Amino acid sequence: MPDSSSEPQATPLSRRGLERLDLLLLSAEALDLNGGEAMVWMSEQMGFSALFPNRVELWKRRCHNPLRRATRRGQLKPAETDALMRILCALADRLYPLLRALLASNEPEAVRQRRWELFEGRLAELVRERMNPRRVGVQTLLDPRRGARQRRQLIQSLALGAGTGGYERLRASLHDPAV
Amino acid sequence: MKQTLRYDQVSCRLQVEGLPDLSSGQAQDALGIITGWTLRWPGRPELEGRREHLLSLMAVVLPYARLLISGVGRPVGGADTPVSIAPRPEGGHRLQLRSSQPDTPPLELELDDAELADLVRVLDELRLDPRLQVKLDLPEPRPLQPREVLERMPLGRRLAAPVGGALALALAATLGALLPEPAPQRQTTGARETPSAPGSAAPPSSQQPATAPQPSGPPR
Repeated sequence: MPDSSSEPQATPLSRRGLERLDLLLLSAEALDLNGGEAMVWMSEQMGFSALFPNRVELWKRRCHNPLRRATRRGQLKPAETDALMRILCALADRLYPLLRALLASNEPEAVRQRRWELFEGRLAELVRERMNPRRVGVQTLLDPRRGARQRRQLIQSLALGAGTGGYERLRASLHDPAV
Repeated sequence: MKQTLRYDQVSCRLQVEGLPDLSSGQAQDALGIITGWTLRWPGRPELEGRREHLLSLMAVVLPYARLLISGVGRPVGGADTPVSIAPRPEGGHRLQLRSSQPDTPPLELELDDAELADLVRVLDELRLDPRLQVKLDLPEPRPLQPREVLERMPLGRRLAAPVGGALALALAATLGALLPEPAPQRQTTGARETPSAPGSAAPPSSQQPATAPQPSGPPR
């Protein structure tokens, strides 16, 4: 398991950071139909079984996202959020060809549009299933026009945070102050 | 003896050449002295340079990517640096490379988000390659300052809440000032309340009707 205790910021992730982290994980799930399974498998492969012994524990950590239907109170330990970020970066690395295809501008417009429709449709399905529809953040994300920028931002963050090199960038970004 | 490190992505290939620094006890397969590098993009001019140019490229592109993850599209590097990158208003990114040769105009490359992600990946691969044993001195990614987070919002949206609140307060204060003051109540001699004697069981309200008389209406 990567040692996260030696890293510079052992501060707990803010609610806003947890919200973004869970939405990024949800976007990875939207890109991969077996994303939920892949997450559990990745957690075991990366040696996080002590932190997340089973899928329920993994799911409980993700439920600290304040936008969830059944949100959990309290803060996650830095080791837990770092592990979730490492899993996310590994998932993004695996999904990089898909992320790249969504961001590329040199393909026919119809192909690009179809790709975005597929991703956005699947993301909307997952968001409606798991998030609290009364929250403004959820309504904005689901809005075809107002949420477009945020959905693109999620894909771009995954592409730039993919792999081992992206972990530090993504981690710093998730620790941004909430204003 | 000569070492070549190569990193490939869909849109670019980075190749770094150099030698191991045997005086520092580096292994034969290590690269401790960079002698040159090339960055190839299909359909675009090939970039090449010395060690300093590669380090400048990394010192500009990686912090720019860090800002983009937080949704802050801000130029990194300026006219006085060998490399600079900035977002383009029409979308994408503009990478400028300035030659150390005099009278040579800067080379401009326009990258879309996918090409930028490819460039970031090859630079990450190089940075994290254990064979590269060169001190890079790259800034460590840090969380943004609250001011930087605020600045990513357009000024109109940033000011909307405080200006709206101030306007609502001013409107409420104006309406409050326009309301007429209530006239002072006249005291009528007949309805003056007399204090009840101590021990008296009669409540003060018994001297006045508890409810106002209702106007008689037609029977329902």
